[in-house]
Amino acid sequence: MLRLSLKTRRSLLPYLFLGPGLLWLIVFYAIPLVNQAGVSLMTGNPEDGYTLQWHFGTYTTAISDYSTQFLRSILYAGIATILDLIIAFPLAYFIAYKAGRWKNFMLLMVVLPFFVSYVLRTVSWQLILNDNGWVVHRFQDIGILGADGRLLATTTAVIAGITYNFLPFMALPLYVSLEKIDRRLIEAASDLYASRTTAFRKVTLPLALPGIFAGSLLTFIPACGDFINAALLGTPNQYMIGNVIQSKFLNILDYPTAAALSFILMSGILVGIFIYARVLGTKSLTEAAV
Amino acid sequence: MSERDVERALERLLFEQSGMSRRRFLGRSGAAALGLTALGSALAGCSIEGEAANQVNAKKQVTVNHPKASMAGLTWANWPLYIDKKTLKAFNRQHGVKVKYVEEINDNFEFFGKVRQQLATGRPIGRDIVTLTDYMAARWVRDGYCEPLDKKNIPNIKNLVSNLKSINYDPNRTYTLPWQSGGTGIGYNPKKTGRRLESVNDLFDPAFKGRVTMLQEPYDSACLVLLGMGVDASTAKIDEILKAIDKIQQAKDAGQIRRFTGNDYTTDLAKGNVWVSVAYSGDLVQLQADNPDLEFIYPKEGAMLFTDNMMMPKHAAHLYGAETLMNYYYEPEVAAKVAAYVNYISPVAGAKEVLLKTDPEIANNPLIFPPDDVRARLHAYPALTPAEERQMQSAMAQVTGA
Repeated sequence: MLRLSLKTRRSLLPYLFLGPGLLWLIVFYAIPLVNQAGVSLMTGNPEDGYTLQWHFGTYTTAISDYSTQFLRSILYAGIATILDLIIAFPLAYFIAYKAGRWKNFMLLMVVLPFFVSYVLRTVSWQLILNDNGWVVHRFQDIGILGADGRLLATTTAVIAGITYNFLPFMALPLYVSLEKIDRRLIEAASDLYASRTTAFRKVTLPLALPGIFAGSLLTFIPACGDFINAALLGTPNQYMIGNVIQSKFLNILDYPTAAALSFILMSGILVGIFIYARVLGTKSLTEAAV
Repeated sequence: MSERDVERALERLLFEQSGMSRRRFLGRSGAAALGLTALGSALAGCSIEGEAANQVNAKKQVTVNHPKASMAGLTWANWPLYIDKKTLKAFNRQHGVKVKYVEEINDNFEFFGKVRQQLATGRPIGRDIVTLTDYMAARWVRDGYCEPLDKKNIPNIKNLVSNLKSINYDPNRTYTLPWQSGGTGIGYNPKKTGRRLESVNDLFDPAFKGRVTMLQEPYDSACLVLLGMGVDASTAKIDEILKAIDKIQQAKDAGQIRRFTGNDYTTDLAKGNVWVSVAYSGDLVQLQADNPDLEFIYPKEGAMLFTDNMMMPKHAAHLYGAETLMNYYYEPEVAAKVAAYVNYISPVAGAKEVLLKTDPEIANNPLIFPPDDVRARLHAYPALTPAEERQMQSAMAQVTGA
């Protein structure tokens, strides 16, 4: 058996530690990614197969053909993220500070929807927003909707669906970051004659930033690629880029365009994140990651 | 020791004692990652296999011999709610097996997309029978993706109704055996529309704006619209089909069409969210049980006739078992049970006679056993080349927004 010196063994140790994680990343992340990058540069058709031609034109056509769906995805995901923040912040604040012995129960309630399949949860919204359902009728009574107005198969329904489905992703990181805040800091603020709003603005909010950042990313990124809500609650006029990618991959078998669209979406999101990180300060990016 | 100390110690162990700085360490793993990326690009350099590689001439007579073999693990992929499961249990008892019956096909193209890579590279897909609609069955036959049937194991094939004994893509039924047929027509709710419908063009009546759904599948929707335009869809040319898709586009832009759907139009129709749908005959029979107001019509201009076919994918493991199962479902008594349950048009002669005795209401239902004047109005799907089919699909995809 090969005997390695202590020094060599020590120097190999970090690789050994990294091994499983690195292997995982390579097999399930790096290789598929590179493979799809290759696919996006192929040309051909399902009949004759696809061959790598370094055809970058697919990207430009993909952008020009599907810019509507791209913008729509970003818009819907953006609105849903903001709505989630508005809904989840008070919720997380309440759970962290006021819920007392109900804390665990309330957290469970936030997580509970995860016990049901994503598609099933979205389908149940089809029933809630039904044309002859309670919600639509009440909206018609108050005059928000016209007599023949509807909610299902509209933009409102799709955004509502996304907002609902991703709420826990916003609420949980917010809760964690709010929970972590040292209460004495807030007490100190009031000792120094800060009003409750000032204390909130100057102490709580900045300290909750990592949570806001993590929550928005966890909501915005998957929401951008979502296709379930648009497919079940929307019409072709609400289809997002995820719907296009799904149909290109599975129905039309146009793999290059589908792969190109995925890469465009990915790079768009990456650029977006870096801008966002800059605005909030890079420190909170690393903090959020911890 | 606190957490921090552990971290420190670990760091010392990893970097300082090994004489490697953190920077160098990162640099090295970077190099490793780069090398792997290169490997990855080599991988990506492979092309994606096309379908045309092993094309088959379906007209050629093929004789195969599939001797008796074990049926353990026999797997059948079918559409949801497309069988009376009691018949399957009876088969299991009869043969002492447990057929793996998977309701996994929701859309021909989606299913094909799922198994296409294996088929193209000549690997088994793990299913012994798949049930696919004519246009997709045609593609599998043409591309050599299915095993020929050993008809010695399917003596009941004599019960196949005469109008389906031959079909353009498989003239001798060498590879395919019909499971059920159905009509693509119009399902609607007369209470909501306020009048009886009889024409395909009622889909475009502005009074139903936003209350109409169409199927995503151009073979169904575009061909039906084409019939309404006075063109015989079964012999239609691609230009004519594209014109029909144009017409659908205009209706969609005008807000006439609410959604393009797969099988899920049924929920909207039953709930009253939608008043008029391009619909499958069998679905409507089932929906009428929930909502008796609903009606299905074979429009006066005609309707499309589709057949879902049982076929054995290439390299399937249980050919004998698959054939035995097919044979079982071609016994008129069994076929009658299935017809009574799924309410589609049975391809098995004699099923109606059995039902006349056991369940005359179903035997006399024109949706399940269409009378001759309706049969004359049913059109088969047009035969398109692969390129034309792609053209049609992508034109339709433009309309449905995907």
